[in-house]
Amino acid sequence: MIHPVDTLLSLVLLSVLFSFGTSRLPGLIKVVAFQGVVASMVPFFIGHDMSAGGVVFTVATLLIRGIIIPLCIYLAIKKVAIRREVEPIVGYHASILFGLGLIVGATYVSRQLNLPAISQYLLVTPTAVALLVTGMFFLIARRNAIAMVLGYIMMENGIYLVGTTFSSHVRHIVEFGILLDVLAGVMIMGIILQNINKTFDDVDTALLRTLKE
Amino acid sequence: MVEIIFLAPFVTGILAFFLPKAIGRQLLVGTGAIHLILSLLLWKNRSVPIFENYFAVTPEGLLSLLVISLLFFLISIYTMAYLKETDLKSENIFTGSMLLFLSTMTMVTLSDHIMVMWIAIEATTLASAPLIYTYRTSASLEATWKYLLICSVGIAMALLGTVLITLAMDVGNVDAPLSFSALTGVAKDLDPMWLKAGFVFILVGYGTKMGLAPMHTWLPDAHSEAPSPASALLSGVLLNCAYLGIFKTHKIMHAAGLGDFSGTILIVFGLMSILAAATFILKQKEYKRMLAYSSIENMGIIAFGTGIGGLAAYGAVICMIHHSLIKSSLFLSSGNMLLGYKDRLIENTGDMAARMPKTFVAFFAGFAGISGFPPFGIFIGELFIIVGAFKTGHYVAAGIFILSMCFIFAGFANQVMKISFADFINKDDANTDPKKIADPAGTIPFKEKASLVWPQYILLLTSLILCFFIPDTLYQAIIEAVTAIGGGIK
Repeated sequence: MIHPVDTLLSLVLLSVLFSFGTSRLPGLIKVVAFQGVVASMVPFFIGHDMSAGGVVFTVATLLIRGIIIPLCIYLAIKKVAIRREVEPIVGYHASILFGLGLIVGATYVSRQLNLPAISQYLLVTPTAVALLVTGMFFLIARRNAIAMVLGYIMMENGIYLVGTTFSSHVRHIVEFGILLDVLAGVMIMGIILQNINKTFDDVDTALLRTLKE
Repeated sequence: MVEIIFLAPFVTGILAFFLPKAIGRQLLVGTGAIHLILSLLLWKNRSVPIFENYFAVTPEGLLSLLVISLLFFLISIYTMAYLKETDLKSENIFTGSMLLFLSTMTMVTLSDHIMVMWIAIEATTLASAPLIYTYRTSASLEATWKYLLICSVGIAMALLGTVLITLAMDVGNVDAPLSFSALTGVAKDLDPMWLKAGFVFILVGYGTKMGLAPMHTWLPDAHSEAPSPASALLSGVLLNCAYLGIFKTHKIMHAAGLGDFSGTILIVFGLMSILAAATFILKQKEYKRMLAYSSIENMGIIAFGTGIGGLAAYGAVICMIHHSLIKSSLFLSSGNMLLGYKDRLIENTGDMAARMPKTFVAFFAGFAGISGFPPFGIFIGELFIIVGAFKTGHYVAAGIFILSMCFIFAGFANQVMKISFADFINKDDANTDPKKIADPAGTIPFKEKASLVWPQYILLLTSLILCFFIPDTLYQAIIEAVTAIGGGIK
């Protein structure tokens, strides 16, 4: 029987593929929001006993990761009406091919890892690895600064998935700390983004190339 | 109540955002003084924190804390004078961020829980980002963006490493608090494979923040674009804080019997950083970037010494303390140079020995100290590291180390000579007549006020004194810290 977690995570894997091929920022933001929602819902399905505090933290995570952060970014690009393209360094077709290879590779690697705690869920580790690498890929292969921030959030989603499912030791207070950090980080990145847009009239990071040796 | 040391600057930092300029400056110095007193009290009477699960007073933490306190107090005095000379648009953001930065760094030194440590280090990034963007130019914007993005991604790697260490606990069936001290106690039972993986990710993560090559690319930009007092803090203490994260994880590795594994990786990253610095320092055109590369070099030296262990580990801690003292004094002097010459390019400076004699003394003494000349402490530290490397049979590594030191000294000396003794050509005069050398007096409209030079002198003097006389408690703390990673004077 397929566990509901695996059903949800298979959708996340599909969304990863979609994100490799999309050229538009609004679409990418929706993908990141979806991944955030699923990543924060997974603890509800996976084993550890949920205390009342645990439920509160998980719901807070869901709100911040899945709704507040993506909404802020969405409103930000609407307000400043900046270019909606992700400005790829690596083209879309090559990106999708990379994404396919990544999912296969992540599945292969996960088999080797052999984690007893989550062995009944087939897709947790592959999804976490895929999210991590996808986030890194966006940081490297997209020039648009907002796409880079989205890549960073995707990476954090992957780490969150690793943290909440792999180990029972990560306490909620700590999860909450991480969450606040991410929130504050994205906010400060947002402020810098606005300033980049104001100074250069664009968020293409190719403009940020004056400081080098 | 140990927590008050980082809560006090947090509160005053928040206050500073809303207070007028003049009060904000005094708040900065006042908080610095209170912080120094609190740290000294903690040093004398090692009390237990209220939240024992999350914080602890450790010897390595205390060492860093004392360095942070002393540096911040002196830098705050300098900052007060510096802010009067410059005209910042949003000064309250600057002072507020400085105080929050102090608060987060203090939290790093006191944290014992591995996730709290991570949160604190991430918080230092967020608190210091506004400092780099102080001048509101497009170049500073670029530096801030790079700093935020590279460090956030690096720190995310460290988070993954931290999670992998918790996994090492699960796989090894260990039930212990998630703190560095508890994990060091049960290190032998942790699963070695996941522990190794965790260490690698943590080293890459915190190494990014520490400025180890090849993750150092944010560092020269951030240090050159930030105002000089902020650069002094970034270089003098922030890098140490990141090092503390690596040091504590290395401690767990050593206790688990995997010290050789982590040591070798530290040696490799250390040498890479020293080589990167040697490559880029030779042709450096800006003096603040030059100092930044020197920081990368010194972080490499510290990582190298820690990796070798034994006598070299002791040398690494000595280097860490003295690098903070000397490098922050150099960055403060570079602030005076910027006020005097109004330019960061070395070619637009010159003849500092005659034009800014007091700053010149501080800058030149700092240069001698950072290059490893006696009677400054880095000399002793580097000597211990080299002797330690030879004793443990790392002949090739020690050879590369010494050769790079020579290159860095040559590059550094060349630039410092230009700044200090070459003819100074005023740009405005040069426009009308390229050959004309500005007249000796009055071309630099900058008065070397006492509070703009004394902090540097005190920092250098502290380094000088510590070279000849280390108070016994300080010595015990250093020995206690390095014994845990297999170091010591033997």
